[in-house]
Amino acid sequence: MYRSQKLALRYFAAAIALFGVMTAAGLLSAYYYIDASLLYNVFDFHMAKILHINTLVIWLLMGFIGAVYWFLPKELGREVVGIWLAELLFYVFCVAVAIVAVVFIFVQYGRADQFSMWFINQGRKYVEAPRWAAAGIVVVVLTFVYNVTATAWQARKMTGLLGVLILDLVPLSVLYLDAFPQITNMSHDLYWWWWLVHMWVEATWEVLIGCLMAWSLMELMGTSRRIVESWLYIEVMLVLGTGILGLGHHYFWIGTPQYWLTIGGFFSALEPLPLLGMVVHAVYDAGAHHMKTSNRPAFYWVLAEAFGNFIGAGVWGFMMTLPQINMYSHGTQWTVSHGHFAFWGAYGCGVIAIMYLVLQQTRGAAEHFDSRAWKWSFGLLNLGLVGMVGGLLVAGITQAIYERAQGGSTLQAFVVASESHWFHSGMYARLFFGMVFAIGYLVLVYDLLAIGRRAAAAAPARMAPA
Amino acid sequence: MNYVDIIATSTALGLIVLAGGAYGVLYAVGMTQSSRSLERASYACYAAQLLLVLAVCLASPLDVPWKLFIAVSGMTYGFIPPATWRLLEKLHHDGVR
Repeated sequence: MYRSQKLALRYFAAAIALFGVMTAAGLLSAYYYIDASLLYNVFDFHMAKILHINTLVIWLLMGFIGAVYWFLPKELGREVVGIWLAELLFYVFCVAVAIVAVVFIFVQYGRADQFSMWFINQGRKYVEAPRWAAAGIVVVVLTFVYNVTATAWQARKMTGLLGVLILDLVPLSVLYLDAFPQITNMSHDLYWWWWLVHMWVEATWEVLIGCLMAWSLMELMGTSRRIVESWLYIEVMLVLGTGILGLGHHYFWIGTPQYWLTIGGFFSALEPLPLLGMVVHAVYDAGAHHMKTSNRPAFYWVLAEAFGNFIGAGVWGFMMTLPQINMYSHGTQWTVSHGHFAFWGAYGCGVIAIMYLVLQQTRGAAEHFDSRAWKWSFGLLNLGLVGMVGGLLVAGITQAIYERAQGGSTLQAFVVASESHWFHSGMYARLFFGMVFAIGYLVLVYDLLAIGRRAAAAAPARMAPA
Repeated sequence: MNYVDIIATSTALGLIVLAGGAYGVLYAVGMTQSSRSLERASYACYAAQLLLVLAVCLASPLDVPWKLFIAVSGMTYGFIPPATWRLLEKLHHDGVR
């Protein structure tokens, strides 16, 4: 095994740990809606939400980085250039994340000055990490980009897949710089801030997961490189074609010119179309192999990725993306419902699929990589997620009706919507299914630790040489 | 928009995409298993999608350009599964060669 692949395993372990923190913080956030006095003035809702969303971003990012460190030496047939630096920065990254989490939990926020921004909380939604940590993320990502490009350069080899990945890493790292400006005009600030949030999630991350899924399909199904690369080019073209200007659906109500209503609505309404093509592709691949694979967990998580992405981003997105609907749904629990479904479908399922793919190889369980636990975790996580999304949708539509359509978005209307029994029912359902999801997470952790070990012990001869 | 319009329109929009997805899945499964009945079921889903598009165009309070856009995208859905399927078959055929 290459050192880079050992590093990948460490990244996956860190990602799974942060997935747990995200789940715990999410449960806590859900509970505040049932009992708003919980930990009042000790650890309020907004801090739990910050922890929930920031760990979401970091666990997925660590999963992506780990996956690239896993596939890269296989792609190029050599060790990653500068691997010692990558190894060093992995520990720096973990320590930085831990420090930020401790500061978020115990210090939370400070006075509105430069010290707070640099060392406590930057105060910008989803990128709240203090500035020193944000700078650290830049260093980690730049090192990652250096590792990938320098390795390709040294290997004197460039594949289509790797080319797409390298091109994608440029905007991925540059866009993060949008976490830094200090713009006092809120409209201007949000305008640029969305470049980071949207272009990561609905453009650069989509391309990145596309590359990772392409590598995964080659290993999981034995699909030829020519096929996955041709399909990747088409998907990238369609995803970027609709996703980049789909940015406009975030510009509807932040003080930007009115033409964004048309641009945002138009392009984001086109976003389900490439997702439909991906679903057809998933069914084609599954059918071509008669649903037979030596790695059923990875296979089913890949299928869940295709369907979850389509339903979460496509169906849920189109329900609320046209400006006339979005005026009522924007910023309600309806949006939260869409966000949960889309993130899980597009990225969460994909990262878990890659973890199972990697574990099969590291444990040398080429043929009997199966367990009962993965089925339970698959069922519980997806049931929990769908239940949460359903509960949030009910709560969100209640807000859209009582708070926006009938109440005219006044404070009184907000209170009326928040006291509606529909809203409460939705939130109880969200908490209940959140607990189902959390149990699914625990089973997943158990399975990731256990799966394949018995098969590997039974057939040590199958282990590939290190 | 009143609350009935919001719920009805957004539900219809979601169902349009869902019906499109069902069309794509059933079409692909039908082709994989050479099943005429699944293929016919997929066309039934597409027909349902077109009916939903028609309902949105006739009954929703959306502005006319959005209705036109939805009508055009509804028609586009019809081409995606067969075109994707042909492309995938071509890619696999060329890939095997």
